[in-house]
Amino acid sequence: MSPSPRDPETSTPRLELRGVSRRLPSGERELTILDAVDLRVEAGEFVAVLGPSGSGKSTLLGLLAGLDRPSEGEVLVDGRAIQALGEDALARLRRDKIGFVFQAYELLGNFTARENVMLPLELAGESEAGRRADELLEAVGLSERGHHYPAQLSGGEQQRVALARAFAHRPSILLADEPTGNLDGATGHRVLDLLVDLQRREGTTLVLVTHDPEVGELADRLVHLRDGRVQRIEAGGAAREQPA
Amino acid sequence: MSLRLALRWLIRETRGWGGRVVFFLACLAVGVAAVVAVAALSDGVREAVRAQGRQLLAADLVVGGRRPAPEPVRERLAREPGLSIAEVKEMASMAAAPVAPGERGPSTLVQLKAVGPGYPFHGGPRLDPDRPIAELLTPRTALAEPELLRRLGLEVGDELLLGGQRFEIVGRVLDEPDRAFSGFALGPRVFVSLEGLARTPLEGFGSRVTHRTLVRVPGGDEQLDRLASDLQALIADSPFHEVETWREGSPALQEGLRNAERFLGLVALLSLLVGGLGVARTVQAWLATRLREVAVLKCLGLRPREVVALHLAQVALLALAGSLVGAALGLALAAAAPAFLADLLPVTEIAIVQPAAVLQGLGLGLGVALLFAIAPLAEVRRLPPARVLRSDAEPPPPSLAARAASALVLVGGLAILASAQAGDWRLGLGFTGGVAVAALILAGAARLIVRGVGALPRSGLPFTLRHGLAALARPAAGTTAALVALGLGVLAVLGMAVVEDQLREQLASSLPVNAPSVFFVDVQPDQWPLLQEALADEGAREVDSVPMLMARLSAVDGRPVEELAAEVEGDEDRRWVFTREQRLTWADELPEANEIVAGAFQADPERPNEISVERDFAADLGAGLGSVLSVDVQGVPMDFVVTSLREVDWGSFRINFFFVVEPGLLEGAPHSRLAAARIEGEALQRVQDRLAVEAPNVTVVRIRDLLERVRGILGLIGLGVRVLGTFTVLAGLAILAGVVSAGAARRGREVALLKTLGATRAQVAAALVAEQALVGLVAGTIGAIAGAVLAGFVLTRGMELEFSPPVAAVLGGIALSVVLAATAGVLASLGALRRRPIEVLRRG
Repeated sequence: MSPSPRDPETSTPRLELRGVSRRLPSGERELTILDAVDLRVEAGEFVAVLGPSGSGKSTLLGLLAGLDRPSEGEVLVDGRAIQALGEDALARLRRDKIGFVFQAYELLGNFTARENVMLPLELAGESEAGRRADELLEAVGLSERGHHYPAQLSGGEQQRVALARAFAHRPSILLADEPTGNLDGATGHRVLDLLVDLQRREGTTLVLVTHDPEVGELADRLVHLRDGRVQRIEAGGAAREQPA
Repeated sequence: MSLRLALRWLIRETRGWGGRVVFFLACLAVGVAAVVAVAALSDGVREAVRAQGRQLLAADLVVGGRRPAPEPVRERLAREPGLSIAEVKEMASMAAAPVAPGERGPSTLVQLKAVGPGYPFHGGPRLDPDRPIAELLTPRTALAEPELLRRLGLEVGDELLLGGQRFEIVGRVLDEPDRAFSGFALGPRVFVSLEGLARTPLEGFGSRVTHRTLVRVPGGDEQLDRLASDLQALIADSPFHEVETWREGSPALQEGLRNAERFLGLVALLSLLVGGLGVARTVQAWLATRLREVAVLKCLGLRPREVVALHLAQVALLALAGSLVGAALGLALAAAAPAFLADLLPVTEIAIVQPAAVLQGLGLGLGVALLFAIAPLAEVRRLPPARVLRSDAEPPPPSLAARAASALVLVGGLAILASAQAGDWRLGLGFTGGVAVAALILAGAARLIVRGVGALPRSGLPFTLRHGLAALARPAAGTTAALVALGLGVLAVLGMAVVEDQLREQLASSLPVNAPSVFFVDVQPDQWPLLQEALADEGAREVDSVPMLMARLSAVDGRPVEELAAEVEGDEDRRWVFTREQRLTWADELPEANEIVAGAFQADPERPNEISVERDFAADLGAGLGSVLSVDVQGVPMDFVVTSLREVDWGSFRINFFFVVEPGLLEGAPHSRLAAARIEGEALQRVQDRLAVEAPNVTVVRIRDLLERVRGILGLIGLGVRVLGTFTVLAGLAILAGVVSAGAARRGREVALLKTLGATRAQVAAALVAEQALVGLVAGTIGAIAGAVLAGFVLTRGMELEFSPPVAAVLGGIALSVVLAATAGVLASLGALRRRPIEVLRRG
């Protein structure tokens, strides 16, 4: 279908879902959120997951991060099945390999912008957390606002702090849940550009959930979800620009 | 996560506390303030009561008797390190005013008290001039009661003849707290020094001198008890001596003190529990606002136990802060109490800085906060991080094992804290068990209500009631938690109030108004008509007299008392029961203030030698109905059969005996009479003057002074109980209001939604009232009844007092609970009622 940065047949994918289903109890019945989904994401790839509200996008993201466990199937990170890992092991996995960007920014309200960026570095026990945080704040154009609290920042600024926090500990995987969903068009574009720019620069594998078709123009591949099933997978704008 | 990082994060987290946790602090502070105030006040009151007890004796321990303390006693006292010892001698003597050389002026009988260096160790006489007695007394000076000066027409500075020697009167004796226990008031008091007494020949006349060795014991109760029991053993065979400590008052006073101590421990326990409820609810409400941030932390790779530790540390910090505030508040309140109650408190000096009370408050505050935070924190641990993606992601329901474990930790921890607080693990366990049972009943009732209301057809009801009921029955409404918290609160507050009320009533009535004011000791049978006549002439009331005879117990059911005493070696109280001189009386009717609890009073015509024994005394003797008591009556052995056991109301202060024998057996033996009457002031003085001439051997014990003092102490205990009880009830009400409003605060969104759908504010408020009032009704009913049961248990079992079902209090408690719940529900939703709905809904 679409060419990937590496040969999918020989290398271990960064992320992989094998026959993953997720069902939730809803009152007396069971609700199927995801239904036998298969997906491979190669290292360094930018995959956008698109679909209408309720199609299972966020659930898929949660499963990839080990925030949630599949009812059936396997979730693999760097070839290692994670669905059976304990809470502590999952926490360590996220601490070491995964960064997050959320729709509602989710900065810690009691921490300054700089402290929010330092947080994953401190968790990883990095000694130069402050310096790295300053670099990243500069990269997102907020070096002057490091001492502000989230409540003192605009939505776009908060999301840029969140981007800096997500990249702080150099995760190999970045998961983004509607990162522009709460922002107006222009601000959203700027944040998205910044995100893709950082992703390319750091060589991060990015899985981004959105219902904004324009985002697709920047991605390598587009995964369309509907009613919990993968409807189709197509090449994104970024892939089409690359020579085959 | 390193400790340093944890601390750094902790400090960052504290920034978000703001107004959000003011309630947490306040809640804990009120609870801890109650604990500290209770502890500081009760320590203070206990100290004050003790200080009074010491004043009555002027020492910690006294060895008294008709002879100087025997050599073994002196040796034993000399061996004990750190003691201070003072000698006191008392006797009746004539005193006269020297009018002119060679002549004698008017004379009167006085009660002479010669005191050695060191007297008094506690309290002591109030003098004019107000200087220490040791400074005023020299071998040539004396202090006299104004009464004596008036009788003899003397003034301070004049001379007084005592035993033929001249003494200069250097001051007046205004008040003498230790007189009640030592003074046979044959006449006004005169103080001289021991050297002064030695100048006179008074001691050599074979007069009845009472020797008292006053001892100050620097160590605690333990040293005192040990010393007292050693001394008891040394004088066990001496009929001339007795050992008293300040801790043994009259039986009524002892019982009052013991009740007060038990009660004070209980008061603090209940206030502690009420505080814990407030903490649990506020921690829960606080964590509920933090769930998203917790989820984010988990997404960022914080391990569950790190998240819990972070929040536990915050709770601990908050608890410490709240406890510190509370401790300061408690001390301030305790300090303020005596100032407000100066008129009522006989003692104004209550030591207010009580480090032990502060530590107790801090420890309990921290302990309770952490214990009650465990269950909500466990929820945080289980919270799925996916919550950040789907706000409806709820923690999986806890497993039965996890629930049982957290309940066990709570109950176990509470039991440990309660036992520590009560100073008695059985009381602590019983208390905790009772509360746990009440909580289970309340939780069960909550379930029944939710089910019952859910099944109820609601179609016919008005909107507000319908909505209120629906809100109760809806899943996850928090009905159970609110009901248990409110019910336990009502239980604690009402139980407390009922115990306080009934205890106060019984304390107040424990000193009857018709108690005698004077005892006449050693009245010879032929003097009795004379005394009767004198009392009748002066209008004395409640005149009462019984014959009395001293005897020694020789055997119980054939077993010699020496053998029985040896069996209880080490337990001096019980030993004393066998070895003491027994006072016997005879009567063919049951004396007042006595109640037969077993057998029948001298009713068996077949038995000519029946004896009735006080119940507790019989138990100590190991005797029951049918036992044979062998008694040595002044050299004549006699056997008596126990045919009845009596309960004696010692609080009546009437003449009472452990042994009452059948009439007709002892009349022939040499005996005297003990008389009591109610007669005061001048009239009593005239009776006394007449006796001094016509029956000089009769000693007159003015019991009124003693009774006044005991009444003062009982009043003090009652007051302490009242102050502490009121305090805890108030603290409980404040925290209850907080508990209810903490639950109602979560209703903000609901209120906004209702308004969006077109409900008026009045309708929304009415629905809230209906819902909360129902919670208040059920919680109040169960809590109030359980509280009354608890109070009854405490009063009857714990304090051996009577209990009457407090119907009015239970009804009042239910009504108060309904009003409180409804008011708190509405007040807590006022903000949401005022705000425009969009503001609430927009926040997601």
